[in-house]
Amino acid sequence: MNIIEVNNLTKTYGEARGISDVSFTVEQGEIFGFIGPNGAGKSTTLRTLLSLIHPTSGSATIFGKDIIKDAPDIKKDIGYLPSEVFYYDHMKVKDLLKYSASFYKKDCSKRIKELVEIMELDVNRKIDDLSLGNKKKVGIVQGLLHEPKLIILDEPTSGLDPLMQHKFFDLLEEENKKGATILFSSHILSEVQRLCDRVAIIKEGKIIKLEKISTLNDDHFKKIHIETSHPIEHNYLRMEGVTDLVVDQHKVSFLFKGDVNAILKQIAAISITNISVVEPDLEEIFMHFYEKEEV
Amino acid sequence: MNIYVHELKSYSKTTLLWTVTLVLAVVLFMSIYPAFTKDVASFKTMLEGVPEAVRHAIGLEVDQFFSLVGFYSYILLYLKMLGAIQAISLGIGILSKEVRDKTADFLLTKPVSRVDILLAKMMAAFTCILVTNVIYVMASLLIVSLVTTEPFHRQTLILLSLTVFLLQLVFLALGFMIAVVVQKIKSVLSVSLGTVFLLFFISLFGSATGDGLLRYLTPFQYVEPAYILRNQTYEWGFLLLGSLILIVSIAVSYIVYRKKDIPSV
Repeated sequence: MNIIEVNNLTKTYGEARGISDVSFTVEQGEIFGFIGPNGAGKSTTLRTLLSLIHPTSGSATIFGKDIIKDAPDIKKDIGYLPSEVFYYDHMKVKDLLKYSASFYKKDCSKRIKELVEIMELDVNRKIDDLSLGNKKKVGIVQGLLHEPKLIILDEPTSGLDPLMQHKFFDLLEEENKKGATILFSSHILSEVQRLCDRVAIIKEGKIIKLEKISTLNDDHFKKIHIETSHPIEHNYLRMEGVTDLVVDQHKVSFLFKGDVNAILKQIAAISITNISVVEPDLEEIFMHFYEKEEV
Repeated sequence: MNIYVHELKSYSKTTLLWTVTLVLAVVLFMSIYPAFTKDVASFKTMLEGVPEAVRHAIGLEVDQFFSLVGFYSYILLYLKMLGAIQAISLGIGILSKEVRDKTADFLLTKPVSRVDILLAKMMAAFTCILVTNVIYVMASLLIVSLVTTEPFHRQTLILLSLTVFLLQLVFLALGFMIAVVVQKIKSVLSVSLGTVFLLFFISLFGSATGDGLLRYLTPFQYVEPAYILRNQTYEWGFLLLGSLILIVSIAVSYIVYRKKDIPSV
């Protein structure tokens, strides 16, 4: 069953770009990632699904219900965590959580207690006095306290320290095991890779690729920098799988895709003083990816 | 219901403060009344020295001025201004604060319709205004009866006092509409003060020139104390006009708020 169905959703803000013709579906129990650079339309899509903004054209359903007409009904089972969290500053954390829970017609106090413990949140403090990371924690508890069937997260890890990120991801995986469907946006590839089953890649308001994460992993690029002790011949590293090769005296950088052993052997044969192998950030990988595809 | 209670709580302090301010203003003004009436004749000549246009502008009628209700209706002008500021800033504030404080993402993703949110907030604001006025009317009755020993017309005084309430309703509704129509309000106070002073000065100007048409433009003149003093009733035509503004403002707020895009933070 499809939890979310988006059909040709378009949102324009006057002249400015929003999203155009976005279509995708999210199946029950799936963790679906929405990735793309800043300003690509990730938030716009999520905010449209939550009826914070209204689509210019197109439609979407969640749990088989229309996102505009049945918005209040749908939201009973949605937990949302915005990228930047803001709450009523004068309130204490526990009062805010109570207020949040009061919108759902069930007793959430037990779940609140659990979540607060996991997130190590001090509920007696005022929202105003909380650090960014702690506010985010409030957001997480607030978004999950009613045990939603669909969890929507917009850049969920911004502001969380690595330890908390880890806990948070465990929490999400647990919710997912219990049956929750998760849709989240991110511009951090590793996040998406760790959690998601499928991803949609959005660029300039359009979905340019919809892929299983396992397929995407096979397309893995590495970004390799090396520094050599002697200048090397320009074409020494030009071999299969190497692209974007830049040789500048001692410094060499390129993207590599394919059998890592082959490239390592080639590198091992020369004398190097430094090496770094990193996953290129999303922007690079897809810029590269799609520039080629457009040709 | 939870939104209503939440809003009521968050505006309780401000409402209390405004109520105290209004009551203190009455106390202050009425406490100088006995001083005025000690030497009516010399005050009269002094007041008659004030140019007629100015007297009209500030609603000063020399013959009425020295009667208790006359004096009260004179100070009402300023109380109404205070009341208008309270009402419009409440109206603007309560509907724009989610966007201003960026809490819209929290509230509007809860399982509650926008209409319900609007209704709860409007009812909360109305409750604040109602409470203010119940206290204000009772306090002004008490104060007036304390400063004077002469008998006065209680009903006229209540009618006069209630003009603050009527005016506040109109300004509250105007505030709702402004909050919803304007995309992002940075400072509630400056928009409130601007609107109130603009309408207030139109009112002063209208009174000074006696321009009948200007009366329609400013809610300040929909309930004229002079008319109430003479006729012991409100001008129904203007009351109707006020209600019309009220209904239109609320209807516009409703229509716009239902479809409004919430700017992202």
